[in-house]
Amino acid sequence: MNYVIAIPLIPALAFAILAPLSGRSRNAAVPIAVGASVITLGLSIAAFLAVWPGGHEEALYHTSITFATIGSVKLAAGILLDPISATMLVVVTLVGAAVQVYSLGYMHRDERIGWYYAVLSLFTAAMLGLVLSDNFLQLYMAWEVMGLCSYLLIGFWHEQEAPRKASIKAFLTTRVGDIGFALALAVMYKTAGSFDFAVVLHDFAWAPGAATAVALLLLFGAMGKSAQVPLHVWLPDAMAGPTPASALIHAATMVAAGVFLVARALPIFEASGVALTVTMFVGITTALVGGLLASVQHDIKKVLAYSTISQLGYMFVALGAGGIVAGFYHLVTHAFFKSLLFLGAGVIIHAAHTQDMREMGGLAKKMPVTTVTFTIGSLALAGIFPFSGFWSKDEILTVLWHGEHYVVFVLALVAAFVTAFYVARLWFRVFSGPEQTSGLKEAHVEMLVPMSVLAAVTSVIGFGSPYFAEFLGHVGEWPAAAIALTSTAVAGLGLALGWWAYGRRNQVLNTRPLKSRAGFVYAALAQKLYFDLTYDYFIVRQYGRLAGALSEFDRTVVDGIVNGAGAIWRAGADVGALIDRVVIDGAVNGVATLVRAVGARVRRIQTGRVQSYQALMLAALVVLMLWFVVKGA
Amino acid sequence: MLLSAIVFLPLVGAIASALLPKERASAARWIAAAVTAVDLALVVWLLIGFNVAGGMQFVENRTWVVQVGIEYHLGVDGISLSMLLLSALLSLVAVVASWKQDTKPGAYFAMLMLLEVGMNGVFLALDFILFYVFWELVLVPMYFLIGTWGGPRREYASIKFFLYTLFGSVFMLVGIIALYLQGGTFDITALAGMGFPATFQWWVFAAFFLGFAVKVPVFPLHTWLPDAHVEAPTAASVLLAGIMLKMGTYGFIRIALPILPHAARQWSGFIAALAAISIVYGAALAFAQTDLKKLVAYSSVSHMGFVMLGIASLTPEGINGAVAVMFSHGIVTGMLFLLVGMVYERTHTRVMDDVTGLSAQAPVAAGLLAFASFASLGLPGLSGFVGEFLSLLGAWKSGIPAAWVVVAAIGVLLAAAYTLRMVQRVVLGTPSKAVEGIPDLNVREIAALLPLVALTLVVGIYWDSLLRYVDPAVRATLALMGGS
Amino acid sequence: MSLLQPVGVVSFMALAAVLFSLGLYGALSRKSAVMVLMSLELMANAVNINLVALSRFTAPAEMTGQIFAVFSMVVSAAEIGLGLALVLALYRRSQTVELDAMQELKG
Repeated sequence: MNYVIAIPLIPALAFAILAPLSGRSRNAAVPIAVGASVITLGLSIAAFLAVWPGGHEEALYHTSITFATIGSVKLAAGILLDPISATMLVVVTLVGAAVQVYSLGYMHRDERIGWYYAVLSLFTAAMLGLVLSDNFLQLYMAWEVMGLCSYLLIGFWHEQEAPRKASIKAFLTTRVGDIGFALALAVMYKTAGSFDFAVVLHDFAWAPGAATAVALLLLFGAMGKSAQVPLHVWLPDAMAGPTPASALIHAATMVAAGVFLVARALPIFEASGVALTVTMFVGITTALVGGLLASVQHDIKKVLAYSTISQLGYMFVALGAGGIVAGFYHLVTHAFFKSLLFLGAGVIIHAAHTQDMREMGGLAKKMPVTTVTFTIGSLALAGIFPFSGFWSKDEILTVLWHGEHYVVFVLALVAAFVTAFYVARLWFRVFSGPEQTSGLKEAHVEMLVPMSVLAAVTSVIGFGSPYFAEFLGHVGEWPAAAIALTSTAVAGLGLALGWWAYGRRNQVLNTRPLKSRAGFVYAALAQKLYFDLTYDYFIVRQYGRLAGALSEFDRTVVDGIVNGAGAIWRAGADVGALIDRVVIDGAVNGVATLVRAVGARVRRIQTGRVQSYQALMLAALVVLMLWFVVKGA
Repeated sequence: MLLSAIVFLPLVGAIASALLPKERASAARWIAAAVTAVDLALVVWLLIGFNVAGGMQFVENRTWVVQVGIEYHLGVDGISLSMLLLSALLSLVAVVASWKQDTKPGAYFAMLMLLEVGMNGVFLALDFILFYVFWELVLVPMYFLIGTWGGPRREYASIKFFLYTLFGSVFMLVGIIALYLQGGTFDITALAGMGFPATFQWWVFAAFFLGFAVKVPVFPLHTWLPDAHVEAPTAASVLLAGIMLKMGTYGFIRIALPILPHAARQWSGFIAALAAISIVYGAALAFAQTDLKKLVAYSSVSHMGFVMLGIASLTPEGINGAVAVMFSHGIVTGMLFLLVGMVYERTHTRVMDDVTGLSAQAPVAAGLLAFASFASLGLPGLSGFVGEFLSLLGAWKSGIPAAWVVVAAIGVLLAAAYTLRMVQRVVLGTPSKAVEGIPDLNVREIAALLPLVALTLVVGIYWDSLLRYVDPAVRATLALMGGS
Repeated sequence: MSLLQPVGVVSFMALAAVLFSLGLYGALSRKSAVMVLMSLELMANAVNINLVALSRFTAPAEMTGQIFAVFSMVVSAAEIGLGLALVLALYRRSQTVELDAMQELKG
């Protein structure tokens, strides 16, 4: 089983080979990266198949290496192969390989394609290192490296203003969450004395107070990475990056890392209790906000981005209800169908030369493969039988129902309805109606094959849902008819509304009266519920002003106080008024001036004439002798 | 003898290059390169022969001034070894980086080597007077380096630097004398663990605190730093930020903690507060800067705050972290100053808005600048993360009020803000007028940077490459403090 | 006290004092460096007289004063040689031996 170690190392090696090369030879080395991703996929499937028969609770393979020793504490990096990590392996490498192959077609004209592949490889390595981690520290480190890759890929086309800004925004927003994660590690280390899953999650008995602290801090970290309200603002902007990168990082894997973290740490959340409720609350809020915002976007990628936010919220809801299987299963299905949708969106954007859905239409006739695969993805997202999204969403609803979270259950249904609505809105705008672009044609084959693979996966994995639950060590059940019918009905209703508004031939719904009647609501949605504006105004700008003010403060006051040595004590009483630059400089130069003044007087003695020195000596001698005489007498 | 050789070899080089006749003064750089390279080789040799678990070793102890018991006492443990390596490496890098120095090269390289004598000496001295002599010796060449080869406001900056640090070291001298009068010896190892009375400790600690804190520098004693950095020539900036700042924190770990343990515990809350303020304050000020060198200078204030936080924690994690930040900050900030200097040589400006789009014009420089920036903002896998994380961990574990630790953690976010802002302006985007047509780094410049890049990666990935030396020494220090 | 009486130590010391004062006056007042040097020589010789005289009248057997005086004369010979060489060098440089013209050490 030692080949498991190689799984994260192979893409890392690909990065190490590609990164130091010069631009042109790096571009030529792209096949290395693609090959690495395919090999990793093979190894991952092998590892998954090895875990599949039976190995439920116990890890099948576990190894670790110490990288830091502090007294008796050893910090180690480890590889832990259990059902959860094995599943994640396949998800990450399958989507990763699909994206890498797809990018051969999508990015082939870009002059920095080599760098793109290098970063993709590093990302894959970090993500695999994260899912295989056997401790929270390694998880955190891989987590941050992924953040770097996300930053680099969002800002890939950095010559333009928007990607540059979006990349910084993404990095800083997720890092706000990371403060929580880092502090969670500190609390964990102080209370449990370790970062290892084996100790923290199994052996250590958590007191509710400490558990709540750690769980909420971890949740905060997860909210940053998984774009949960109110830290979701970076994800829609992150769409400025290349579309396949969005498919991998901002839809399937990295953003799901937060969910993965909470799923891993679920025993701590359960020990706390409160933290579970908070998780559910955050999740359902995000699911609704994301869904509503997705419904008013015109940019196809932004619709998908908000949809991702909303679906991640769904996963948090499931975890908050204690349904690790449901949440985790939705993570898996969502990874496949959402990356499929993003890859499809990439094809659509290439063909239509725009991201604005209002300028698209009629793609179905010219692009059959894309249409079919995209439709499969859409139906999965809407939650229609038999596609994967139906099964996982159903499990989440079941968990909520059995957990007697009825309010959340209803809200989740509302979110499902909204989801179906914006899916229909997207689909009809893009694929039906009159053609608005000339020269539409189907994409390259290396783009279509990965999409077809993902579509096939999306179509069939739903039927594995009860087996998957058993694989994770829980009781597997087929969906209960009542809940399945309810959710299908709600989804169908949403699709129907979407069709009524956007899909009817000749008659696209005129939304103007609606907008004018509910002006405030619409304005709020169009302004992304004011999150961005609030942050920009109250945090970003204020920080800039504060920094400027502090800089002035430093230049005048602090420098002044320090320079004016004695002034320190006085300063406490009247900072600002008394201590200005004049006083300070005076004090600084005071010492020098004093020395100089003394020197100016003393120098007069130094005439440079030998004889005046002699006279001085004589005089001194006489005085000395007089002294002796007087004293002697 | 090995330690003496390491300390005084550069002195030989300094004398040799100072005595060079004017017309042959450019040969000084070869002397300097050879001497610093041999010195580094000696340090590496020391590293190989070093016994990780052996405590203070390679000790040399001779009487120097018998009447008052001053000794010539050198020795090395894991903490000083890491600092010594840093000093030897950065000195060589500084020499290579200032290869093109052609104003009075003889004197210039002599000063660089004299500086190395002082720095190596500070990290190896185990006698207070010896320590003080080396400590002050460092000031002189740095004063001349800034004052002679510096920028337009060099005179103001050099005098400010000199007076500031002298102000601090005077208090330190008072502390040293007080300890001598009370303990009867200047021997640092002998004074450790003597257990002085509490009030006495408090006052002596105060004196040492002033002396060291100016050097670190801790808010609000930091204002000499930006001025000195902005005016100093590149190599001097590298050594100033890379090593001289560490002398202060090294002093805390080597002297203040083991000799004055009781006072250290009393002061720890106060130091932690100052550290947290330094972190956030330095980061905010770095954010407000438009001059690249000033930005890096203020970022040093912020990073050194993490060192102080780790020291204030008085835990093994924290002090290991402090040393790790010291080491990492040395190499990473060294890289940043070198790169800023190299860019300045080409564009003749350090204003951020005038230097943009480096990646399109000079990909190697841009790539390395981005690399150093990410190391500086504490990305895991690079050296910056190791120390900052351990410092936070230690601070949380100790009795320091949680609020200060949270403030420090926010500092990590702010570090990302000012660093990325710099990367966004300088590295990314389209080339500005000043950047257009500039050549990329040449082989010599890359050679100066590569060892630093390699160390950043090695320490960042395999922490024990550094901690295996540091940790035993840290535990020995804490054992001297008694408990914890 | 008469001229026929043996000369006592006081007379020698008086002579030495007179010589010393003359020398001191010269050293302080002469403008020419050569004259100053000669005055210095006068002062040195005054000291020598004292040495010899005091030795003769206190411990005549040991001759220490006399021997010391010989040493002193040798040293002052060397010294006057060096002094004159310096004066010569100064003359070459500034075309004068007047001390008032030499003020380069003025602070």
